[in-house]
Amino acid sequence: MAAFDATARRGLLLVSPTFVYVLLLLAAPLATVFAFSFWTQDFLSIDYTVTLKNYQEAFSDPIYRTLLGRSLLIAGAVTTVTVILAFPIAYFVSFHVAPERKALWIFLITIPFWTSYLLRVFLWKVILGFNGVLNSSLIGVGLIDEPITLILYNANAVVITLAHAFAPFTILPIYVALERVDRSLLEAAQDLGETRVSTFFRVTLPLAMPGVIAAVLIVFIPTIGDYVTPRLVGGPDGLMIANMIQTQFLKLNNAPMGATLAVLSMCAVTLVSLVFLMLNRRYLKTS
Amino acid sequence: MIGLTNVEKYYGDYHALRGITANIPEGEFFSLLGPSGCGKTTLLRAIAGFEHLSGGSLTIDGQDMSRIAPHRRPTNMVFQSYAIFPHLSVAENVGFGLRKRKDINRDARQRMVDEALDMVGLSGYGSRRAHALSGGQRQRVALARALILKPKVLLLDEPLSALDKKMREQMQAELRRLQRQIGITFVLVTHDQEEALIMSDRIAVMFDGQIAQMDAPQTLYRRPSTRRVAEFIGVMNFLPAARVGDEMFDVAGLGKAFIDRSQVMNGAGTDCVAGLRPETLSILFDGSDVPDHSFEGTITDRAYYGDMTYYDVVITPGTAPVTISMKNRAGRPILEPNTKATVAWDPRSLIIFGA
Amino acid sequence: MKGGWLRIYAIVYLIFLYLPVALLPIFAFNDGTIIAFPLQGFTAKWFLELAAIQALHSALWNSLFIALVTATLSTLLAIGAARASTRYKFPGKAPIMGAIMLPLVLPEIIVAVALLVVLLQLGIGLTSWTVIAGHTLICTPFAIAILSSSFQGLDASVEEAAIDLGETRWGAFRTITLPLVAPGIISAFLIAFTISLDEFIIAFFLTGAEPTLPVYLWSQLRFPTRIPAVMALGTLLLLASLIILSIAEYARRRGIARTGGKDSGGFL
Repeated sequence: MAAFDATARRGLLLVSPTFVYVLLLLAAPLATVFAFSFWTQDFLSIDYTVTLKNYQEAFSDPIYRTLLGRSLLIAGAVTTVTVILAFPIAYFVSFHVAPERKALWIFLITIPFWTSYLLRVFLWKVILGFNGVLNSSLIGVGLIDEPITLILYNANAVVITLAHAFAPFTILPIYVALERVDRSLLEAAQDLGETRVSTFFRVTLPLAMPGVIAAVLIVFIPTIGDYVTPRLVGGPDGLMIANMIQTQFLKLNNAPMGATLAVLSMCAVTLVSLVFLMLNRRYLKTS
Repeated sequence: MIGLTNVEKYYGDYHALRGITANIPEGEFFSLLGPSGCGKTTLLRAIAGFEHLSGGSLTIDGQDMSRIAPHRRPTNMVFQSYAIFPHLSVAENVGFGLRKRKDINRDARQRMVDEALDMVGLSGYGSRRAHALSGGQRQRVALARALILKPKVLLLDEPLSALDKKMREQMQAELRRLQRQIGITFVLVTHDQEEALIMSDRIAVMFDGQIAQMDAPQTLYRRPSTRRVAEFIGVMNFLPAARVGDEMFDVAGLGKAFIDRSQVMNGAGTDCVAGLRPETLSILFDGSDVPDHSFEGTITDRAYYGDMTYYDVVITPGTAPVTISMKNRAGRPILEPNTKATVAWDPRSLIIFGA
Repeated sequence: MKGGWLRIYAIVYLIFLYLPVALLPIFAFNDGTIIAFPLQGFTAKWFLELAAIQALHSALWNSLFIALVTATLSTLLAIGAARASTRYKFPGKAPIMGAIMLPLVLPEIIVAVALLVVLLQLGIGLTSWTVIAGHTLICTPFAIAILSSSFQGLDASVEEAAIDLGETRWGAFRTITLPLVAPGIISAFLIAFTISLDEFIIAFFLTGAEPTLPVYLWSQLRFPTRIPAVMALGTLLLLASLIILSIAEYARRRGIARTGGKDSGGFL
């Protein structure tokens, strides 16, 4: 038993500074937020009576419901679009690019994302805007006469911008999963009479599924909490729950309501993630 | 030299070593042989100091090792993966352990490194990078690196398992030569019974954290103490048998014979099992005299190995065949399946185990 | 040609990826205050204007300071955690590591408001150090991810071999492990540095009187006349990021060459 304890002690010792840090700066604050969600704001002070009033308000006031619903909807749309757009790229780099040039491609894909996130979102506003790059170019070449207004200050703009913002975070996990696919399995499938297309659906895609699920979660989770994009390109109809959380905390000075909304969005995120992880597990079991 | 007394090792609830007791004298080439998970590597690592014992004692040269850290023990180890430091040159690898020795200056160190490289046949490789070496060369660097510190015991953890067959055979001979030359104790862990037989002075066969048998190679092969040891080392045919007299046994298909007490293992009661190695049986070709002990059978299968041919012979239809190995000598035909054959056997090479 | 359509798609996709970034230098050198086509002519005056904005300079220095401290702290915290998780078994390992990696899957705004609430409750004023506290929290998991793969790639018996040859446990770590994972440490540090430098949401919530660069940028985006200068600044930041990235990539490759492994993709 002595050896077990010795290595265990050494491991715990090494991990403890990080763990203590996380306990103090993440676990404790999260617990505080949770506690806040059961308190209420009484003008300048906090009423510490435990109540479900905030939750009732969050569910009954249509604005919160709309925002949370919209956040989920937009996050879902962003995730779908991003993953569908990204999969062929990951597949292309993994299957059709020569091994010695793969690193270069991955490098090329990641470079744009080392510019300031804020500026990238802002640049999309410039591109999609009424007098923006897209409209002025399209008018310039005579394709359209009037600027397209469908693509700025609404949910579409948010989807386009975020699909761009999360591109590498979806491509990379899918690429890694595809790289792990043993190529001889594909040959075996074709040897056993599958066509190239059916091989893709019966062998490649199931094996790449963990990467796809990872990509889905990597996009979905931060999107729910995104604050910058809806604010810059979303317009009034593109605002999301994170904007409301920010408003509650910083503008309305109603921390308990902000906390409630934060807890609700965390619950939503957790729920959706769990559903996806379970789907993945079942999918892997059946195939 | 190395004294192990009732050594116990637990990993949580898992009992990895169960009451290991052994003495390994100075200058012996000692092997720990067993299937994976039998505890042989754990025992080796315990001697090196990488595993703490849960019970029992370990002494080296009469000195208790329980409070001695691995880097202070008079042992050095050759790791299964060789564990060559990838960022250092061959010479830096070999000289690694000498840097701590204040009594050895630069020149002396250089000389010792050269000597060590020379000893393992790698003269002139000193400036190479470790990852530019082949498997066999890494193995030699690992050996030189351990031996340069003049340990009292060299521990080898499956050192040859990553090499191809030719290279492995060459290294087996070389390790054996090195051990005789420097005369220190070698403790080798291996799962390859042939390797253990070829190289060792003595072998401990381990199953489930226990030593099943500890003997010289010939004894181990000729007189395995249990059926499990016999099965693990080489090939053996097992036939049901019964004790019909004090030293008289009736073996199924072979008939009755006197078996010397030394061939009867502990635990053999009235019902027992007779064990015969394939090479102790021989098919009689046309024209040979039929000896006292022989039986008739039908060849059901054969496998040609070049130097040898292995035959499966069924004695009584419906029973399992016995395997017989025959040297392919000039003028000796290769028999086809479904041929009748007369097989000679010798009671002196038969072993009786408990059922 | 094999993958013909896919190749065309890939190129179109790359254009999509590079579209906004490409606009950055174009408008940074454009002689016009409105960000739209057609272009007005070449100028470098926006870059010169940058030199004159005092608030920008202090925001930049503030961000660099925060990024430097954050990168140092999170790399140190990550070394311990990554080594513990790859090398040792200990009770509660899965939940402990899960908690440490949690910020990776938590929307940033949640982290930001949670910290803000606690700081306000405790009456701790918002300064650069509160931003550092938040950034260290989110950068550490990234650094751990990078360092874990470095430690994982390391043969455990290499360290044991050093101990076997007479090094102490610490000596073996210092002479063998540390040099071998040094490229990973450099990568982790640079990634943490870059993330902190670019992070907006946490900084926005936790910053005090002295804004970080992204917070300053955010405030400038509201004023159309400031936009060209912001573009110039963005161009410079992009250049700086590329240089940092190249150093990280170089360190990674050198690490691979040193241990004799095969290159198997980018360092992300």
